[in-house]
Amino acid sequence: MDGRRSSGASSFRSDSLERTGMENELSDVVDALPGLVWTALPDGNIDFLNRGWWEYTGQSVAEAIGRGWQAAIHPNDLPELRACWRSMLASGGPGEMEARLRRFDGEYRWFVFRTNPLADVSGQIVKWYGISSDIEDQKRVEKASLERERRFDLILDGLPAHVHILTPVGKPEHVNRQYRDYVGATLEEQQRWETGHVFHPDDRPAALAAWWKSVETGQPYDFEGRRRRADGVYRWFNLRAFPLRDAEGRIVLWYSVHTDIEDRKRAEALLAGEKRLLEMVAGGHSISGILEVLCQLVESTASECHCSVVLVDPSGTRLEHGAAPSLPASFVTAIIGRPVSVDSGPCAMAVYRNERVIAADITSETRWAASAWCPMALAHGLQACWSTPISSTSGKVLGAFAIYYDEPRTPTPQHLALIDQITHIASIAIERAQSDAALRRSEAFLAETRRLSSTGGFSKRMATGEITWSEEVYRMFELDPAAPVTLEQILARIHPEDIPSFDEMLDRQQRGSDYEHEYRLLMPDRSVKYLHVVAHATRDQDGQLEYIAAVQDVTPRRRSEEALAKARAELARVARVSSLGAVTASIAHEVNQPLSGIITNASTCLRMLAADPPNVDGARETARRTIRDGNRASDVITRLRALFSKKHAAIEPMDLNEVAREVITLSRSELQRNRAILGRELADDLPLVTGDRVQLQQVILNLLLNAAEAMSGVDDRPRQLVIRTEREEDDRVRLTVQDAGVGFEPQDVERLFDAFYTTKSGGMGIGLSVSRSIIESHHGTLWATSNDGPGASFAFSIPWRPERVEGARNPGAVWMSAVTDAQHVRVP
Amino acid sequence: MVIRSLVSVVDDDESVRESLPDLLRELGFAVQAFSSAEEFLASDCIGQTRCLILDIAMPGMSGPDLQRELTRRRQAIPIVFITAHGDETVRPRLLEQGAVECLFKPFSDTALHDAVNAALRGS
Repeated sequence: MDGRRSSGASSFRSDSLERTGMENELSDVVDALPGLVWTALPDGNIDFLNRGWWEYTGQSVAEAIGRGWQAAIHPNDLPELRACWRSMLASGGPGEMEARLRRFDGEYRWFVFRTNPLADVSGQIVKWYGISSDIEDQKRVEKASLERERRFDLILDGLPAHVHILTPVGKPEHVNRQYRDYVGATLEEQQRWETGHVFHPDDRPAALAAWWKSVETGQPYDFEGRRRRADGVYRWFNLRAFPLRDAEGRIVLWYSVHTDIEDRKRAEALLAGEKRLLEMVAGGHSISGILEVLCQLVESTASECHCSVVLVDPSGTRLEHGAAPSLPASFVTAIIGRPVSVDSGPCAMAVYRNERVIAADITSETRWAASAWCPMALAHGLQACWSTPISSTSGKVLGAFAIYYDEPRTPTPQHLALIDQITHIASIAIERAQSDAALRRSEAFLAETRRLSSTGGFSKRMATGEITWSEEVYRMFELDPAAPVTLEQILARIHPEDIPSFDEMLDRQQRGSDYEHEYRLLMPDRSVKYLHVVAHATRDQDGQLEYIAAVQDVTPRRRSEEALAKARAELARVARVSSLGAVTASIAHEVNQPLSGIITNASTCLRMLAADPPNVDGARETARRTIRDGNRASDVITRLRALFSKKHAAIEPMDLNEVAREVITLSRSELQRNRAILGRELADDLPLVTGDRVQLQQVILNLLLNAAEAMSGVDDRPRQLVIRTEREEDDRVRLTVQDAGVGFEPQDVERLFDAFYTTKSGGMGIGLSVSRSIIESHHGTLWATSNDGPGASFAFSIPWRPERVEGARNPGAVWMSAVTDAQHVRVP
Repeated sequence: MVIRSLVSVVDDDESVRESLPDLLRELGFAVQAFSSAEEFLASDCIGQTRCLILDIAMPGMSGPDLQRELTRRRQAIPIVFITAHGDETVRPRLLEQGAVECLFKPFSDTALHDAVNAALRGS
């Protein structure tokens, strides 16, 4: 009996029972007992109740005696109480029961009913004694405690974590529902496991080491590792445990909370993977390497899948291989090269439509039947394919990213989010690779162009005088690229003769206008380089003047121009030399003939004078003939001298087309320099003409160069130049040079041919005046006409003489006829 | 009277036809001059000519042409070629083909005399 029980009132009410003094005293004691005391007959009927009972219940003794007391029992508790009471009576042993008892004011309170039997000497039960104690307060405390415990469990079970309470040595004492569900074992089963049992074998040693350290030191436990789920799958958890200590500081238990960080770990892994991919992109790794890592990243993030990337070929019509690190080669081969269309397969369709294509179950798929894609995929054990187009920022489809599964699968929203993230990175990588490739091509092209054209570049900031050279310029100047460029270094290289014009250029720079300049470098080995500079003036953000310039080493061009000029000068000489070579025999013949006469006559003369008697008349005659032959030799020499002094033409038959071609060959670079487009219209049936080849070449050259020069300012139309030969009706051959240049005014037409009428500053032409006299010496005419369109035409026509050409196969003979018949052609 | 051997001269150059016969006569030979090969072939001197002084380059039939024609006619006349073309390469070829000598104009009287004598000795 405890002290909290309700003791009831102290007043006593007697019933109808008779009392003796002794009985009264006992009755007083019974009434004073802290409880409701009663006795019952062996049949269970109550025959006595103390004052406590009626004080508590408000029942009168008469009401309660027998079975009346049952009215005070809570109806819900009564059947059980009665059953219990009956079985107690039957067993004859002591017992205890609980039930709610109604108080006088109607409130029910919990009571415990304890009963003991009283037997007589024969063992027969004669009486039952019972006492009922108020246990309401105790019940309430118990209930509250139970409630608290239940709420604690509810809270633990409601936590989004695995909670674990352990003994100081780490044996599980309590686990929450999540914990149980995760490991798939009851607490009792878990208690039989070894410590660290659920850890991934790779993580177990470290997990245990950390745990034992915490147990030893009492420091909180904090560890990340993989724990095995009931189905055998390992997931990442963060495990934390805190010790609970008693008043003496001894650890009584450990609270442990395990948080599932699998998603965070995956997100971290994905993020790390993405970071690595972006670093690869930024680092200029090969696109195939990047896409391979990308596929592997997705394969490790979304397990049990195979990934691939296909690219669209440059023509945009076929699929190219991107990456597919875990797909069979034969499958990849079967995909690559397929046309971009809705029929070729999921990837081709995704690319074609620029939308996601999901084939959740290939076994029941009906699309792509035309290309038999499904049987091919199934043959490789693939049953699901989700393909997503990879688009550039401008919306152009670059390729497709696909995930394959060995079993039918439908993507979850998480899958789709992952795919979108990955295709975005793929797009960046592919675009970057493509623009890199384009840049490399263009850089290679530029470098090659620079190399081919020997062009370099430099910039000069006028405010600071700072000069920056490209590699090529360093090479041109043969200076160390590591050293900064100074004006002194440049000036040291400039050819002394070009220093004044270089200084002039420096002055021009100060004015801030674009300029073009050419100068020579005198290298340490005394070689000369020609540099051509085209400079553009620009202003930087601060408005400071800066020159950006291209420098071209034009040495080979200048050299070839020099060589060409030399060749032109040589032309006349070479032509004459070859003519001379051809006629050397004739010259010798012609000189030896009179010499022979002279010597023979002189010999005869001497013999005649030496005769006895001397033949004076004969000697006189031979002497006379000697003089005549001497004069004849002298005449030959005079004509030869005239030839050497260029006063005579070397006449020969020639094909005017051939002469024109020779001149074209000779002047080609000059025409190209003038950007003239030369068209040839040379007649097939041109008869041979007779004349001085060199002189006619000079006339044609003159006409061509005049024409090119007349077009030098023309930029709004092609600089079209036509050289034409044709046979005229009256036994003449005509050659025309037609240009698209500035033309001339009709009133100027005759002035063109004035000896001193020229606008040319240089060149090697001989002038129209000289040209005309050459043509006239060939019995021809030279004239100029304005074109119907732009430009002018200059033409000459000269007669051709078949009989002369026929008889003049031997150039020497023709030449001799010119020498011996000096009147034939007189050229000024 | 000493019978002078007949030396015939064939040359298109008139001054040669004037000067050479005079010199040959001074050297003691009888001389006939012709302006072309055709003229010589047409003459009746072929059989009497003991030495033929022949220009190489002539319009129409050249000196070597005449040599071949004479061979064809079995007229074995010793030939001394003369030429104003100073081409040394022709000489060995002509000597090989039977010429006694080849003289380059201008030549000395001695060279001429030696050549004619050699021709006459051979015949």
